[in-house]
Amino acid sequence: MGLFDKLAGWLGLKKKEVHVLCLGLDNSGKTTIINKLKPSNAQTQDIVPTIGFSIEKFKTSSLSFTVFDMSGQGKYRDLWEHYYKEGQAIIFVIDSSDKLRMVVAKEELDTLLNHPDIKHRRLPILFFANKMDLRDAVSSVKVSQLLSLENIKDKPWHICASDALKGEGLQEGVDWLQGQMQAMKT
Amino acid sequence: MLKKFDKKDEESGGNSNPFQHLEKSAVLQEARVFNETPINPRKCAHILTKILYLINQGEHLGVMEATESFFAMTKLFQSNDPTLRRMCYLTIKEMSSIAEDVIIVTSSLTKDMTGKDDNYRGPAVRALCQITDSTMLQAIERYMKQAIVDKVPSVSSSALVSSLHLLKTSYDVVKRWVNEAQEAASSDNIMVQYHALGLLYHVRKNDRLAVNKMLSKFTRHGLKSPFAYCLMIRIASKLLEEEAGSRDSPLFDFIESCLRNKHEMVVYEAASAIVNLPNCTAKELAPAVSVLQLFCSSPKAALRYAAVRTLNKVAMKHPSAVTACNLDLENLVTDSNRSIATLAITTLLKTGSESSIDRLMKQISSFMSEISDEFKVVVVQAINALCQKYPRKHAVLMNFLFTMLREEGGFEYKRAIVDCIISIIEENSESKETGLSHLCEFIEDCEFTVLATRILHLLGQEGPKTNNPSKYIRFIYNRVVLEHEEVRAGAVSALAKFGAQNEEMLPSILVLLRRCVMDDDNEVRDRATFYLNVLEQKQKALNAGYILNGLTVSIPGLERALHQYTLEPSEKPFDLKSVPLATAPIIEQRAENVPVAVVKQPEKVAATRQEIFQEQLGAIPEFRGLGPLFKSSPEPVALTELETEYVVRCTKHTFVSHMVFQFDCTNTLNDQILENVTVQMEPTEGYEVIGYVPAKTLVYNQPGTCYTLVALSEEDPTAVACTFSCMMKFTVKDCDPNTGETDDEGYEDEYVLEDLEVTVADHIQRVLKPNFGAAWDEVGDEFEKEETFTLSAIKTLEEAVSNIVKFLGMQPCERSDKVPDNKNSHTLYLAGVFRGGHDLLVRSRLVLTDTVTMQVTARSAEELPVDVIMASVG
Ligand SMILES: Nc1nc2c(ncn2[C@@H]2O[C@H](COP(=O)(O)OP(=O)(O)O)[C@@H](O)[C@H]2O)c(=O)[nH]1
Ligand SMILES: [Mg+2]
Repeated sequence: MGLFDKLAGWLGLKKKEVHVLCLGLDNSGKTTIINKLKPSNAQTQDIVPTIGFSIEKFKTSSLSFTVFDMSGQGKYRDLWEHYYKEGQAIIFVIDSSDKLRMVVAKEELDTLLNHPDIKHRRLPILFFANKMDLRDAVSSVKVSQLLSLENIKDKPWHICASDALKGEGLQEGVDWLQGQMQAMKT
Repeated sequence: MLKKFDKKDEESGGNSNPFQHLEKSAVLQEARVFNETPINPRKCAHILTKILYLINQGEHLGVMEATESFFAMTKLFQSNDPTLRRMCYLTIKEMSSIAEDVIIVTSSLTKDMTGKDDNYRGPAVRALCQITDSTMLQAIERYMKQAIVDKVPSVSSSALVSSLHLLKTSYDVVKRWVNEAQEAASSDNIMVQYHALGLLYHVRKNDRLAVNKMLSKFTRHGLKSPFAYCLMIRIASKLLEEEAGSRDSPLFDFIESCLRNKHEMVVYEAASAIVNLPNCTAKELAPAVSVLQLFCSSPKAALRYAAVRTLNKVAMKHPSAVTACNLDLENLVTDSNRSIATLAITTLLKTGSESSIDRLMKQISSFMSEISDEFKVVVVQAINALCQKYPRKHAVLMNFLFTMLREEGGFEYKRAIVDCIISIIEENSESKETGLSHLCEFIEDCEFTVLATRILHLLGQEGPKTNNPSKYIRFIYNRVVLEHEEVRAGAVSALAKFGAQNEEMLPSILVLLRRCVMDDDNEVRDRATFYLNVLEQKQKALNAGYILNGLTVSIPGLERALHQYTLEPSEKPFDLKSVPLATAPIIEQRAENVPVAVVKQPEKVAATRQEIFQEQLGAIPEFRGLGPLFKSSPEPVALTELETEYVVRCTKHTFVSHMVFQFDCTNTLNDQILENVTVQMEPTEGYEVIGYVPAKTLVYNQPGTCYTLVALSEEDPTAVACTFSCMMKFTVKDCDPNTGETDDEGYEDEYVLEDLEVTVADHIQRVLKPNFGAAWDEVGDEFEKEETFTLSAIKTLEEAVSNIVKFLGMQPCERSDKVPDNKNSHTLYLAGVFRGGHDLLVRSRLVLTDTVTMQVTARSAEELPVDVIMASVG
């Protein structure tokens, strides 16, 4: 815990809570990323494929995030929509080494963006082009091209290359997200 | 203390139930707040309570609405409020079969079950297992194995109990967890040990040897948990029962040793197990009865209750064993707990002398109104037993019963009384008239349809045989006027029976039936019209066949046969003989001390054993042309010893001119697979073996079936009894018990089985003729034959009767299987249907001198059945 956290706790201040949906295909690294964002004593060593979803919490300097880490397997993707309404931001994770399924990721993203519960809301979306450490990973620029991110006009978005195993790139993304959420608040 | 159920209590208590007027749609609407943040744990927990309440009240939730609420509930996992989380677990369990996609919470639950908070872990395991089907089980298997051996008892217990539930659907997966369960079984925690043994037992339940091993292992080392001891006692007594007989076994020694356990629970369980063993001797009973006797003076009401209740049961079978406790029981007669007092008195009634009956009955009537129906039934059972023991007392006891019949009471209680009165009437012909008139009075104001129709049936059967039959007509006809249709229909049938047996009354019965023809109800009208037409013919044979003795075919069988006939119309008229017979329930032993209320009503339409056989055999091409299945032998005969390499049991199926022998075989060797298994048969008489239907493979411990088809002798159709020598033939292939790998090459082998007997009883189906005399006249004497024999080896009439019944396999009618005391002659009436469908009746007059002389008269509409009987008796 940082000094501010201690102070806030002591003064009885509470951080603003933000609901985030963590989406993306299975095996893209969602659970690994969220785990890495948690305080080190709460991290688990052993990450197994998610079945359904799991709720995780982590804090940044000014916000408290509640993340719905959804399972990305085909049969569970239809269930994401049950959680759209309450989501205030989205983290969308892509396995940048999985070129084969990039089109599938794009399809899921398009479906998501066209969903009535998402379509007309100005939700910030943070993309992680994950697994950048792998040899055949493509760059984040390439990923955003493959997913046609430039077409997203009505929502703020940002893409970061990341390596969830080492934790690289995650902080940059979360800082961006925090900024967005605070901007919205005011 | 037990209190009489009071309707007012329930009504006034209504206000205190805050959930009484819940509306489903309103509650589901409220459930939308689950989607809001921040979460208000108290409010949400309250709403979940309401949802659970509704579900438990039987409110139906549609899939859509249930799924919606379920997903809303999943969002509550954000909150770490312990109460709310526990409510979520409960909701998940309740909704697991109502909502769709409930596996969505799998990861959330696995997280809780492996998390740090021990209060969450156990309940999370239970919820998780509830939503996991066999396809998903593999995914959580690792967690389950860990949870079973978890140090925290509640987690381990939860995992064990959940595994037990999963066993039903996913035996093969759960089976792999026995090593973990084994580890848990040596836990120091009494619940964990108990649950672990429970799981281990259920995994191995079908493997006798393994269960035996498990028992001796755990009982040798001793157990911590009294619950585990109780379980072991139950398993041991089940095994003993299956073993049948031999008490000279370590199992019995184990149970007996538990009588000295330091936990009362275990001592009681052991005593209860011993007294419930079939055919227990006085010597074996004694130690069990003495610990129960000790419990009788325990300061703990629960122990006194358990003891006296068990003694009460023992007293039914072994009254003399309980007499030793009479003094202790007398002390309990005034116990402030009325349930204990009732049981004490009724036990004394069973064990005490005739002279104490009046005193005890008086004592019990003083608080009869304070005890619940359940205990009143116990009193009725005791009275029933007394009537059989002291026929002279039946007047006193009947009066007691009539008073009870007039008082308030529920169905089970009233049924017990009626059953008891009926059985007294059947035993003592002098009490018939008073009994019938009290029952008549009872149905004047009887709210239970089943009892009213039952009594009407009895009146129809017994009334016409009394001295003054006409006095019953008014009571019966009142039912036609006052009751609803089921009772009216019963009353119409009863009236017809009077008309069929009594010519003087016939004209007035016809008048009454004509009125019933106008009834509003189809069934009542149909019955009236039918009986009217039959009675108007004034022919004894018609009366006998259509009114006094009803159809003997199986009703579902008739329905199927008729349906088949309409599907394939033919020139030939429908033949009732092609319909399988209803298998008469075997009721001979009822007269013994079986409590009346325990005799269960037969299941209504459930397929009988024979119908199941018929279907199985019908599916085998080789047996297509055999016609309808006439009879299947009531119990399979063992052709091997119990503990041999192969276990074979045979069921005999009789058809019009063939027999099929069904051999259920089990291979108990885990290093062999048998293929192409047949049982070769060699008859001594005119039977001819036609073919074999082999069992393709017999793997270790999985029963398989093969069949042998034989034709009956055409030359000598009366030679129906025969002995077959049997030999099992097969190809053996060795296999590795661990990997299941099987050799390609096999070798032929054979195994000698015991001989199989076919007797005359296999060719006759028992059928009850409620009015034997009418049936006798109906068949007529065209093919009657009569012969006299001496039964030199038999010394009493009872012995003669039971031997004849057993030998011929026919149904005793008119209760003629009961020989009255102190008589030296008796007539036994037997009815049955011979293979091929003809009624077969046998009258056997028995006279006792030094030996028993028997005059047998047989009648049938055909010659063959009569000849078969004569040939088999002679
Ligand atoms: N090399 C590499 N592997 C990763 C990275 N992130 C996740 N993984 C691995 O990818 C697999 C799937 O991760 P998981 O978090 O379960 O993916 P999810 O299905 O999206 O939740 C795991 O074996 C992770 O160790 C990464 O940045 N680099
Ligand atoms: Mg995951």
